[in-house]
Amino acid sequence: MAELQLLDGCTAATEAAIAAGCRFFAGYPMSPFTGLLESMSRRLPQAGGICINAESEIEGVNMALGAAAAGARAATGSCGQGIALMQEAIAEMALNETPVVVFNMARNQQDYFQCTRGGGWGDYRTITLAPKDVPELVEHTQRLFWLAERYRAPVILYGDPILAQTQVGVRIEPRDYGPLPSRDWILDGSGGGTGKSRQVWTWAMGKVTNPGPGPDGQWRAIAEKFDAVAQAEQQSESYLVDEAEIVIVAFGTAALFVTHVVDELRSEGIRAGVFRPITLWPFPGPALREATRNARMVLVYELNAGQMLDDVRQWAYDRDAIRFIGGVSIHTSGLTYGPLLDARVIRQRVLDAGAETGVTT
Amino acid sequence: MEHQVIVSGIGGQGIQLLCKSLALAATRQGRYAMLAADYGGEMRGGPSQASVVIGDQPLRSLPILPSAGAAILMHHRFGAFAVERLRPDGLLVLNSSIVQPDAANYPGRVISVPVTALAQELGAIQAAGFVMLGAYTQITGIVSAEAIELAMRELLPPYRQQHAETNARAIGLGVRTARELAEVAS
Repeated sequence: MAELQLLDGCTAATEAAIAAGCRFFAGYPMSPFTGLLESMSRRLPQAGGICINAESEIEGVNMALGAAAAGARAATGSCGQGIALMQEAIAEMALNETPVVVFNMARNQQDYFQCTRGGGWGDYRTITLAPKDVPELVEHTQRLFWLAERYRAPVILYGDPILAQTQVGVRIEPRDYGPLPSRDWILDGSGGGTGKSRQVWTWAMGKVTNPGPGPDGQWRAIAEKFDAVAQAEQQSESYLVDEAEIVIVAFGTAALFVTHVVDELRSEGIRAGVFRPITLWPFPGPALREATRNARMVLVYELNAGQMLDDVRQWAYDRDAIRFIGGVSIHTSGLTYGPLLDARVIRQRVLDAGAETGVTT
Repeated sequence: MEHQVIVSGIGGQGIQLLCKSLALAATRQGRYAMLAADYGGEMRGGPSQASVVIGDQPLRSLPILPSAGAAILMHHRFGAFAVERLRPDGLLVLNSSIVQPDAANYPGRVISVPVTALAQELGAIQAAGFVMLGAYTQITGIVSAEAIELAMRELLPPYRQQHAETNARAIGLGVRTARELAEVAS
């Protein structure tokens, strides 16, 4: 077994990325993502890779696109504010099929729409994993490099300041997720002079001598691919939801806190459970529907004005059972969560919502 | 049972290094540790707080503790969060050079150690955090003083290595003081 190391989430993600074969990283500092850029800049050269502190987020994401097209396992990142600037490149990567891992070391949970809907153009989606703690951040990071290459697509890790900065004892070990498709598409120069040079191009026109599928064929194929991903890659965790009267839906760090509260409530005889989407896209809708089948209340707790709430409304067994107990809560610095991320506060909100309908009194 | 401690003080008192040393010492002994820090942008004088959790299995405690079994108060300013979350059957160790024991208003077990005055006697007021850490490990037995010293040496960057000996003496002084306090109490 690998040695137990005390690592913050940024350093742990760096080690996990290297274990997954990442050898290129480019980004521009912004808290709390800065820690990831710093640890990548320290560790990647030691692992034979390259880390570039770009002049902007736009430059960073496009460097990652270029490195990935040339065959490197590549990643970039920022917090939501910087990833806003990367949207065009993320859409391009999705449409021209370049595998890149994008780390959103966010300041809060207000980037749910940004991660799951995206702000670029075209029919594309981004697989998004939201770990609940640092050990899961390690596993998700490794899996995302596999998923990116498996589907030739940009994928997102949705982290936060708690994950980025909390130091936790973790073990980093290589993981095998199964075989990957051939990388016969990479632009490594090996086709030079053979008349069979390759293209990575959003419009996929090909060459006169070797026409590509063109935009219609390419974008239909991309849409079909994301339909297949939506079916194949949904992941969620249901905790004590069978026979639960109250099911609380939460993701990422917030779900960790909610689980703690549910354990407490259960010990007091209140039948509560947790449903946690692990993939934010594809949203595990059918599993949520099943988990909420017997619930009298479906509470949604997220640290934003109600974004995942849209997906819960789409899938919960009974839409009328849904109550929102989250909200916007920002630390005075603007850089992390405010006081709403606290097991004591969550507990009170669950009890208040339950009292409204007589589930808890 | 996971060992949980919230450490509270003001920037410049060495709160963060104290907690890092404790968490790293536990990790080096093969135990699971979590260090969650919360501090303002200011270098000195602003709120500085951190919590450390130690256990023998992967940890279940939250990074923002809803309650804790122990608290260390290096300064009374900003200390309310820690004292409020301390369980009634817990342990409060306070820096009695600065914090009045009754100011904490905690009904449970309180141990007062004048760590700032002790550090001043060593000629290194900045090492007060390590006097406290030495005392805390002696009181709780959560990790050994030797493990703390090794962790402290590992954590100091090269340009701060000149403080390692003073810090080591501070840890030793904390251990001895806590031992003497225990003897007086019994």
